Amino acid sequence: MFNVHKRRGILAAAALTTAGALTLAACSSDSSDPETSGSNGGGEGSGGEAVTLDFAFWGNDVRADLYNQAIALFQEEYPNITVNSTFLGYPEFWEKRQTEAAGGGLPDVMQFDYSYLRQYSENGLLLDLGPHLGNEIATDGFTEQILGIGVVGGTTTAIPISTNAWGMYTNPQLLEGVGVADFAGGSWEDYQAWMAEVTEASGGEIWGGTDYTGRIQNFEVQLRAEGNNLFNEDGTPGFDEARLAEFWESGASMRGDGASGISQQRLEEINPLSGFGAALTTSELTWDNFGGGYLGELGESYTELGLIAPPVTVEGAKDLYQKPSMLHAIAANTDNAAESAMLVDFLVNSPEVGAIFGTNRGLPASADMRDGITFEGLDEQIRAYEESIADRLGDAPPVPLVGYGSLEEKFRVLGTELGFGTVSVDDAVSQFFAEMDVVLNS
Amino acid sequence: MSTLREIRTPVEPTPGRRADKPRFTRKQINTAIWFVVLMAFTAIVLYPLLWLLMSTFKDNSEFGQNQGLVPNDPTLDNYVKVFEGIAGVPMWRFFTNSAIIAIAATFGTLLSSSMAAYAFARIRFRGVGIFFAAMIGTLLLPFHVVIIPQYIMFNNLGMIDTYWPLILPKFLATEAFFVFLMVQFMRGIPREMDEAARVDGAGHVRTFTSIMLPLIQPALVTSAIFSFIWTWNDFLAPLMYITSPEKYPLPIALRLYNDQTSTSDYGATVTASFIALIPILLFFLVFQRFLVAGVATQGLKG
Amino acid sequence: MTSTVPRAAEATESRGGDNAPATRSPRHETQRSRHWRENLAGYGFLTPWLVGFFGLTLIPMVYSLYLSFTSYNIFSPPEWIGFDNYIRMFEDPVYLNSVKITAIYVLVGVPIKLAAALGVAMLLNYRDRGAGFFRSSFYAPSLIGASVSVAIVWRAMFSTDGPVDDTLSFFGLEIGGWVGNVALVLPMMILLAVWQFGAPMVIFLAGLKQVPRELYEAADMDGAGPIRKFKSITLPMLSAVVFFNLLLEIIGAFQVFSSAYIISNGSGGPAGMTNFYTVYLYKRAFTDGQMGYASAMAWALVIVVAILAFVLFRTSKMWVHYQGDSK
Repeated sequence: MFNVHKRRGILAAAALTTAGALTLAACSSDSSDPETSGSNGGGEGSGGEAVTLDFAFWGNDVRADLYNQAIALFQEEYPNITVNSTFLGYPEFWEKRQTEAAGGGLPDVMQFDYSYLRQYSENGLLLDLGPHLGNEIATDGFTEQILGIGVVGGTTTAIPISTNAWGMYTNPQLLEGVGVADFAGGSWEDYQAWMAEVTEASGGEIWGGTDYTGRIQNFEVQLRAEGNNLFNEDGTPGFDEARLAEFWESGASMRGDGASGISQQRLEEINPLSGFGAALTTSELTWDNFGGGYLGELGESYTELGLIAPPVTVEGAKDLYQKPSMLHAIAANTDNAAESAMLVDFLVNSPEVGAIFGTNRGLPASADMRDGITFEGLDEQIRAYEESIADRLGDAPPVPLVGYGSLEEKFRVLGTELGFGTVSVDDAVSQFFAEMDVVLNS
Repeated sequence: MSTLREIRTPVEPTPGRRADKPRFTRKQINTAIWFVVLMAFTAIVLYPLLWLLMSTFKDNSEFGQNQGLVPNDPTLDNYVKVFEGIAGVPMWRFFTNSAIIAIAATFGTLLSSSMAAYAFARIRFRGVGIFFAAMIGTLLLPFHVVIIPQYIMFNNLGMIDTYWPLILPKFLATEAFFVFLMVQFMRGIPREMDEAARVDGAGHVRTFTSIMLPLIQPALVTSAIFSFIWTWNDFLAPLMYITSPEKYPLPIALRLYNDQTSTSDYGATVTASFIALIPILLFFLVFQRFLVAGVATQGLKG
Repeated sequence: MTSTVPRAAEATESRGGDNAPATRSPRHETQRSRHWRENLAGYGFLTPWLVGFFGLTLIPMVYSLYLSFTSYNIFSPPEWIGFDNYIRMFEDPVYLNSVKITAIYVLVGVPIKLAAALGVAMLLNYRDRGAGFFRSSFYAPSLIGASVSVAIVWRAMFSTDGPVDDTLSFFGLEIGGWVGNVALVLPMMILLAVWQFGAPMVIFLAGLKQVPRELYEAADMDGAGPIRKFKSITLPMLSAVVFFNLLLEIIGAFQVFSSAYIISNGSGGPAGMTNFYTVYLYKRAFTDGQMGYASAMAWALVIVVAILAFVLFRTSKMWVHYQGDSK
């Protein structure tokens, strides 16, 4: 009925196995909840080899509802498989996975993040999906390049659910109010000039954007345009102190009071919203799948966003790339590899699942899944955007090194400190290199 | 408001009135000042909570934009959404889960901590000093570094996704805070009290149950209040040990409206966490009434 | 355990022993059988705690002490590196900053919070009628757990044109919002801790309830004023509870985590001003997977707080008065 080594039984099973007062409580609260017991009880009545899979993802209540629908479909198709799903917010999700990884209890199937892929793969925690590719997991819908994203050290350990690319969101409604035309494209200098124009035209009420040197991705875009990686396959950085200092210096005019970018003080005050989400800035460089979140933050008075390519560093360079915004992976310790692979296939390929999710998990990586979606509004914009930047899309860089997440966060924190003026560019550079030293050598 | 009247304790000593009589009006003035001062403090302290209450009527898009008290466009949508539950799990389920855990934990804490405290405060046995130091020592280590080893232990015991890892430790007095609190209160009880009982032939068990426990009632009430409220609000332990969403207690459920990687519904978050306050507020209201002088502190002259 | 704590505790424990052969033993009992009985009773009452201590607490603690001498990324087995983690702390500017702001938080926050708690508790103890309403009101802020709501409401209070800014402006202090002001974030966090002063307040109240009323009545008859009553009755009678609150609030303040983590969205910002000791420790442990370093940080804190606790226990001999230990 359920995995012997874990006790994540379905609710009924839990009620039976949990002793004392808990039993009473679980039973009494069990009886009158058709929705939960309905979705969990699918495998109970079926014959054949019954299998229970644990499945974990991160997201909010909205995404959980979508997964519930998708899993209900899956269980309809495979009545012998029961899927117990669990979900948390992103940081909690990873804290729990870290603990489970140490304690030997990862769930069978996981939604996965690119930045943790190398760490989990290299430590043998993820199942080699090679034997399942083309069997349980159909690969026809994926391009070679996209499938290659989930390969670490020659082994496929994850399948991309969706892709995203770096882009620039603009707020046309806000721009109209200020009376400045949308950014027409151009160099980083052009972009800075445009930001200043917006900020000036609004009389300081609204800013053209945020100091983009606080985001490591913008640095990466520039490095790639110059033919370098942010980090190479062997874990060495593709830049030196001078280059990083130059990058941070270049943001000087966007920082501080009366600058062209929104001040760090203001950003702190509206946190957890972003300047763009709070309708205080007219542009934001970010991953293209963040648009839905911005629309949600902006509220009903804003209905559309602009989505354009980031500024150009070197004309004709392949500085952008598609990365998986999410992947699915299977734990190496699963007892039900084949069934887990079937679930992964269903969640990455099925057009019905695509129809349920739309672009909630990002632009689907599999063409099969995309076929199930009628793109409209922002979804269509994102789809069209990733097509439109085709001539700037290069090969994806190596799978992020172990600890990339910490470095990305350190970069962001140093960016905010530059904004506050509590650290000089030189100090920030040496702090970042000190952190790299620790991360790369541990 | 009915609570106000009932708080008056049975131990109000009659001699007090005698002393007051000549200064009757001064007492009234004092009371008036007392009332005004406390009201002023209360207003300051409660304002943020009032703000929180008002913000449950704000639309999600007002968060971060309207920092004022009054919603621009009052709505009940947040309540509607919260009562719909999360991903098929109804909201009352989270409340029930939290209540089960908190009640069991409170019961366990009171039982085990008072026993340990009695041993530390009143029994002179071999090793008491070492163990007392060890107990204080357990307070000093930030718990984050023991999360993983404890997880591994409970995983080996097969207790993951049950409430045992949340409740069992409470029956084993692992929260030194409560043990130490009760020790301090017990040491404030004059020894004559239990010595008298011992002379009458009572053993430690009887001294403990019929002398000591009634005498430290304020400490027990305090511990019950804290244990219940802190367990109700505990986030990290359930995060580690509970996997099934239908077993989540409230603190985890409250965070499920937020996802930094997609969208966050702050309106629903604030509303849910405000509703989650109500049971513990009621708990406090009920139990603080017992926060009165211990049965025997009067009639005791040092 | 560090060696300082046991001695500290024994020092206070022995007070009882010094002054009193604990009980006047019933006549027919021999010294030995009494010892045996006391030991049996002691371990009997302590059984749940002993099981919990040896079964649940001790092993993880010792393990974390071991980890503090290793490089351990959670995924691969720990590697022994001696004192490297401890040495690294002194060269880590982020760590040193976290020590600094945590120390300020403790030194400033704890006295204010305890003074507020004691003051309000005494006001509430002044009379019982109506106190229930006030007690509940003052405790209410402490009911909010580590929820995002705390971050939302506290940020709103201290934002530009928020109530705090407005109030200060009314008095002519135009300092703007605190949230985005690097210099004012720490005071803002301290005020949050003070706002949630309900726990020590309730403990003080419980302590005040244990002070025999006769003492005040006797003092009244002697014509003692309120200040003398406070100094010669309230404080001594309350000293055990004051000691408890002081020690526990210090320990708690050193380990401040949830409020800072939530308000800064886990970043410890702005500019590291909410990157308290345990917040940084947590990030090192779980975000960066440097469990060895985090464990070393944890044990460095244990040593410092243990020394403080030792000193407190030592000085407590001079000012803490236990009714049950004397006479």
